[in-house]
Amino acid sequence: MATRRTFLRHAGALGAGALLAHNRLATLIGAQGRVTLPFDNGDRELVAFPGKRPLIVLTSRPPQLETPFQVFNEALLTPNDAFFVRYHWSGLPLAIDTAAYRLRVTGKVDSPLELSLDALRRLAPPVEIVAVNQCSGNSRGHFSPRVNGGQLSNGAMGNARWTGVPLKAVLDKAGVQRGAVQVSFNGLDQPPLGDGPDFVKALDIDHARDGEVMLAWQMNGAELPFLNGYPLRLVVPGYFGTYWIKHVSEIQVLDAPFQGFWMSSAYRIPDNECACVAPGTPPAATKPIGRFTVRSFITNLQDGARVPAGREAAVRGIAFDGGRGIAEVAFSADGGATWQPARLGTNHGRYSFHEWTGRFTPAKKGPIELKVRATSRGGETQPLEPRWNPAGYLRNVVETVKVTAV
Amino acid sequence: MRLALLAGVALAVASSAAPPAGQQRTITLPAETAAYVRSDLPGYQLVQRNCVGCHSAHYVAMQPPTSARAYWDATVKKMKKPFGATFPDEDIAAMVDYLVKTYGAERTNAGR
Repeated sequence: MATRRTFLRHAGALGAGALLAHNRLATLIGAQGRVTLPFDNGDRELVAFPGKRPLIVLTSRPPQLETPFQVFNEALLTPNDAFFVRYHWSGLPLAIDTAAYRLRVTGKVDSPLELSLDALRRLAPPVEIVAVNQCSGNSRGHFSPRVNGGQLSNGAMGNARWTGVPLKAVLDKAGVQRGAVQVSFNGLDQPPLGDGPDFVKALDIDHARDGEVMLAWQMNGAELPFLNGYPLRLVVPGYFGTYWIKHVSEIQVLDAPFQGFWMSSAYRIPDNECACVAPGTPPAATKPIGRFTVRSFITNLQDGARVPAGREAAVRGIAFDGGRGIAEVAFSADGGATWQPARLGTNHGRYSFHEWTGRFTPAKKGPIELKVRATSRGGETQPLEPRWNPAGYLRNVVETVKVTAV
Repeated sequence: MRLALLAGVALAVASSAAPPAGQQRTITLPAETAAYVRSDLPGYQLVQRNCVGCHSAHYVAMQPPTSARAYWDATVKKMKKPFGATFPDEDIAAMVDYLVKTYGAERTNAGR
């Protein structure tokens, strides 16, 4: 049983286009529509961008598109045409010639490389990994006090099967020299004005060579959607999307930590154990954002859903973390007074969404608060009260869904 | 009902090979729908001139309505340094005034 999110509303009657649509979501919202995200000033358009079904428009130029949350109840792998989109600069590529495309590897290497896509594919046997990509600012709109920046609800995340070659194979081919400490990554997107800082990110050399970080050309068995980095993107399992450079074209091996704006000034979190500070206060020190915090969601019931009193109801959802894997998921049907273990579904790897299911029986009519809390194999669990940081990153409070037994 | 790993529609393309070489891919982005809220404040004309070239008005319109003057001031200045916008410093005060009074904590059009 999937209940449509109550704040979703139609822009008009469903038209012929909607009847021809190939997915349930499009049928619900029509070709165009609006949603209201559950925070102040959360009114958003739904627009179909190239390769995408109608998604929630955060900004149209450059494109920043959020996945409507119902999609996470459709399948454990997020469909390519529903996968969120996030660019930083409006100077994104609008045309790419795959024959002319080159990936350059330079810096502290024995043999600088200039690889065509064909050469890259021949470099090593392809590998696959199922991994979540999540925007650092996913759920920022739910912060209290509010934090400026992209006002996202919970849909700037997705889970996909990525196919490509390990970055390690490319770095080994180039021959990393002694003294290398980091590797930087740049893509074809550019600032619209010459002086803006190009969007470049860096990983430590050991991380870059861990065999899991990947240069991927496929997503869920199909080529990457253009707006998700076609024809090649970096996949950094367990790490926030800021590192997953799209249209990646330049890799540089460095003998000193990369100092660009997007590492040294942006995408930084408080450098303390909770990566949090008292709301409204600045951190004493910061560090670059890294792995996901552990999260879980209920996907089949949303705020305002009605469930029959006295009858057993099914609840299900997803959980994920930064790469240890999900050890357990607990579910509460009484606002957190008591918790019961949820049943975990098939394990698709420690970087994937992990399905969970549970059951509850409302004893009587009235409001019910459903809560879900995941714990990773590393022992990390979700806080009952939200943590705060000035950039609005890392949100992972125990989620609550308010339903009514009728 | 358990979640299928992947919807059937997506599976239909799962067997496709790597992207074919020698192919030009192009996209056309949809027409922009957001526009700055009209105002008699002088900053309205300035944001049309200074902001529209680089990004859609969504960046401004989505911010929490509680956003204070200090936020808008810091953000307009950030667009110049480090982000590279070239508008004159003399424009900043009027742009900030328009933004905080139209979208932020000093709004008078509360019904927006």
